[in-house]
Parts: sequence; structure tokens; C-alpha cells
Amino acid sequence: MQVVLRGGFYLFMGVDMIEIWHVSKSYGNIKAVDDVSLTIRDAEIFGIVGYSGAGKSTLLRTINQLEKVDEGEICIDGVDVTKLSYDELRTKRRKIGMIFQHFDLLWSKTVLDNIAFPLELIKMNKKERREKAKEAAIKVGLEDKLAVYPNALSGGQKQRVAIARALVFDPDILLSDEATSALDPKTTDDILELLMKINKEYKITIVLITHQMEVVQKICHRLAVMAKGKVIEEGSVYDIFKDPQKDLTKKLIQTVDTGLDVEKMAGELKIRYPEGHLLRLTFDSKSSGEPILYEVGNKLHIPFNIVSANIKNTQVGPLGVMYIHIEKRHDIGRIVEELLKDDVKVEVI
Amino acid sequence: MFYEAFLETIYLTIVPLVFACVFGFIIGTLIFIGTSGILERKSGLMTFISKVCDSLVNILRSIPYLILIVWMLPITAFLTGSVIGTKAAIPALVVSATPFFARMVTIAFSEVDHGVIEASRAMGAGTFDIIIKVLIPESLPALVSSITVTAINLVSYSAMAGAIGAGGLGFEAYQYGLARRNEELMFIATILIVIIVFAIQIIGDRLVRKFDKRGG
Repeated sequence: MQVVLRGGFYLFMGVDMIEIWHVSKSYGNIKAVDDVSLTIRDAEIFGIVGYSGAGKSTLLRTINQLEKVDEGEICIDGVDVTKLSYDELRTKRRKIGMIFQHFDLLWSKTVLDNIAFPLELIKMNKKERREKAKEAAIKVGLEDKLAVYPNALSGGQKQRVAIARALVFDPDILLSDEATSALDPKTTDDILELLMKINKEYKITIVLITHQMEVVQKICHRLAVMAKGKVIEEGSVYDIFKDPQKDLTKKLIQTVDTGLDVEKMAGELKIRYPEGHLLRLTFDSKSSGEPILYEVGNKLHIPFNIVSANIKNTQVGPLGVMYIHIEKRHDIGRIVEELLKDDVKVEVI
Repeated sequence: MFYEAFLETIYLTIVPLVFACVFGFIIGTLIFIGTSGILERKSGLMTFISKVCDSLVNILRSIPYLILIVWMLPITAFLTGSVIGTKAAIPALVVSATPFFARMVTIAFSEVDHGVIEASRAMGAGTFDIIIKVLIPESLPALVSSITVTAINLVSYSAMAGAIGAGGLGFEAYQYGLARRNEELMFIATILIVIIVFAIQIIGDRLVRKFDKRGG
């Protein structure tokens, strides 16, 4: 925890990188960000999810002050960026890299000069900045494309250039604004892997916003769910995926589980299995490594039918969801009891 | 005779073009900065300057060229020491081409991807950096096209400057060709103007292609 004392004193008691403190931002009558407080720890990957218009993009931009706040404070490494002068802010931004959905490269510059662009802004000499840019290009695996213009690159390569450009100042923080939303699934995975590598190797704190829940599930340590400018749920990816509290969160997570939302899935299965019991089981890292279901079924002599199953990997271990069907004549009370004993979350549909 | 008129036309195109590009660029940039929202710190003064420039451009662009020449006579006399002749035509040509080019600059800048400007801000770029290092290189093909169009406009305007004795091919075609019914002379002078226009357009297009890396 970082305790902020009025008067500009900061007491460090941990490793918080970004502290967002009661931040609000309105456009006319619309509250884009409404009294949001979040703490983002050093070297973690933090995801902010929500549907478009939830205010996540505005919130992300308040961190590097591309959006000024109406109220609240944002402390980065103990410095309240909302109170910095214009010149101080410009210097601070060099330590906060940012990548975007549409890459936002300069088409008029080669890959090398694009990566070197932030250094050109501080008037570093050409030789030195090209060397630094080459180093950054190697980090993202683009060392063979340096002389090419961005338009000759694929979407994934363009995003790599943007990442290299964001890394060229050795930032402490990387902000990612829907960085994989314009990419195909395979390229998305490659970019996510690169972001994970950057986070691990260079200990860069990554804050990403996305509407793709699978992005959060794959690479984030913690997440916040936003709706109508407010953070409605916050916690570790593991806890939230295992036990979401809010309906919106549940809905978002369903898109990862099965590619369908829970009501639709339940509805479809009910049509296919009008008789009997349908159970939705949620496994966690402890339980999904073991043959629990098989053991319980055998013990109670209850045959079950797996109608849908999906096990996903997260930064802290596998998480799984499974739908099983049990015939009407069997008593499900006991099976539920046994599964709960084994830390499996059971819902009867 | 054609040779001299030809040189006069070139002179009446290039000299005003240089001035119009410099002034037009400054005015166009001022208009863009005040209206586009690229300024990070909102400035009432900048918005005011921008609005004044914008109105000025609209006013100057609506005054017919010949009337502009007449109205500008005192200023022309002050600047060039004369109200007739080739040199005296230059101020009015500059004043007519500058607002046109300023408008083109504003349009060229506003077509630069806003995301790129935002990304530059995120990298710590200031407004001046953005103009010099982002807006100009990213809109270079459009700027070169604008210079080409402005140059061609000046070629045709320079013909009208013949009214105050500026000379040039257009004046030649009108005065000796049309008025004195020397059709051959009128035809040759016109052909020469067409050649100049084509040459400007071809050079302009070549440069645009050279600068435009969007094709990959």
C-alpha cells in the first residue's frame, strides 16, 4: 500500500506502480470516468475490461495525462502526474510507453526511424538513436525489417514496431489500448506472448484495456471490470474467473468459457437435454489437475455425460468449466456434495 | 518576344509562389492549431488568432482578383515603389495565392491520422515537434499537390496581372493576340501556357509519388 498524505508526502510500504485515486472525468453531461480508484502493482499485467463506452479508454489515457482529470489524483512511482507542469509531464511520458489498436506508426518513416522517433524528439544524435532503435527492434524480433516502410508490413509486424517504439526509452510502464483488437487470433497470440515476455524480462508494468476477455485470461495477473465509468469488480484474474460477482463480469467470462454467454448455452443444452439434470462445474488450478469427476462418478455409481468442456490457462494456472448431464433417475444432491468437497464450484442449470 | 513573355510568366509564377507558400503555410498552420484540438493546453489566444486567420482567408478568397489589384495599389506602391510593371504585380498575386494555399495546408494537416498525433503526444512530443516532425512529413504528398495547384493558379492569375502591365504570356495572348486579331500569336502564347501548366503538373506528380510511402 502506498499512503498518500495531503501536502505532498508519500510513504512507501510496498511496490505500487500506479495509484489511481478517486478519478473522475466528464465530457459535457457524460461521466466517462466516475470516481475510479485502482492500484496497479509494479511489474504486473493489469487488465481493464468492459464494453465500448465503459470509460476504459479514457481511464487509460489519464495515466499518461493524454486525458486530464476533472477530479482525483494519479500517482506513478509516488509522483502525482495530474499536478506536473507541461514540461515535467512530457519528460515523464518517456517512461510510459503506449501502444494502440491501429498501431499509429508514421508511414513516412522506415521501421528503424519509427522506432527511433521518440529519441529524435529529444534530439539524440542519429547514430546513437539508430543503435538504440536496433536494440529495441531485436527485442521484438524485427531486426530484418529495419529499412522497410510500415505499409509493407502485416498488422502483427506493425504492432511489433509500435511495441519497439514504446520500449525505446526503457519505460517502467506500458499502456496498451486494444492492441490486439485489429489482429487475427494467431497474431493476437503472438503479440500477447511478446507482451508477456516484455513483462517478465524487463519488469515493465503493463496496463491494458480490451474487450476481449481471452486476452485478460491469457496474460493478466489482475483485472478490473468497468461499466458506465465505474469499476464494478476488481481482483486477481484467477479469483474473478473462478467466482465472478457481477452479472456483467459473468457475461464477459462466458465469452471465454464457451464462446457463448451462459444463458444461451444453458438454453441450448436444455433443448438438447430436456430431461435430467444439467450441471455447470468450475474447476480451479488445484482441482483441474485431478480426475475428480471420474472418481466421484465411480464412487456414487452415477454415470454422467460431458456435454461441453473447456479448460483455459491463466498466468496462475489452469481454470476449467464443464457442463455435464445426468439422467433424471439419479439423485444429484450427493454428487453436488462430493464435488463441493473437492473445491469444484457446482451450479445446477 | 515570346521568350521575354515566357520568362515573365515564370517569374510571375515562382516569386509569388515562394511568398504564398511561406505565408500560406504559417497562416494555414495557425488555423489548424486553433481548430483541430491538437493543442494540449487550451489557449484562448491561439483560438482567437486561428479564428482571425480563418476569417481573413475567407475574405481574401472572395475578393475578385482584378478588384484586389486595384485595392492593393497603395500597398503595392509602398512595397515595390511602383504601381505598374512586372514587379508591381507580385504583391497582388501573393495576396491572392496565400489564402488559397493556407486553406490547402489546413486541409492537408487535418487529413493526418489523429492517432499518430496522439501517439506522438504519448511519446512526449510538444506542439512544435508535432508540426515539424509529424504533420509536415505525414502530409508531404498533400502539401506538394497543394503547391502544384497553387502554382498553376498563379500561371493563370499572372495573365490577369497584365492589366497593370505585368507582361507575361497571358497578357501577350490577350493584348497582341485577341485585341489585335493576331490569331497565330494568340495560339502560340496559349500553347506555351499549356506547356508550362503541364510541366508544373508533371513535376508535382513525380514529387508526390517520390514522397508517398503509403503504397508500401
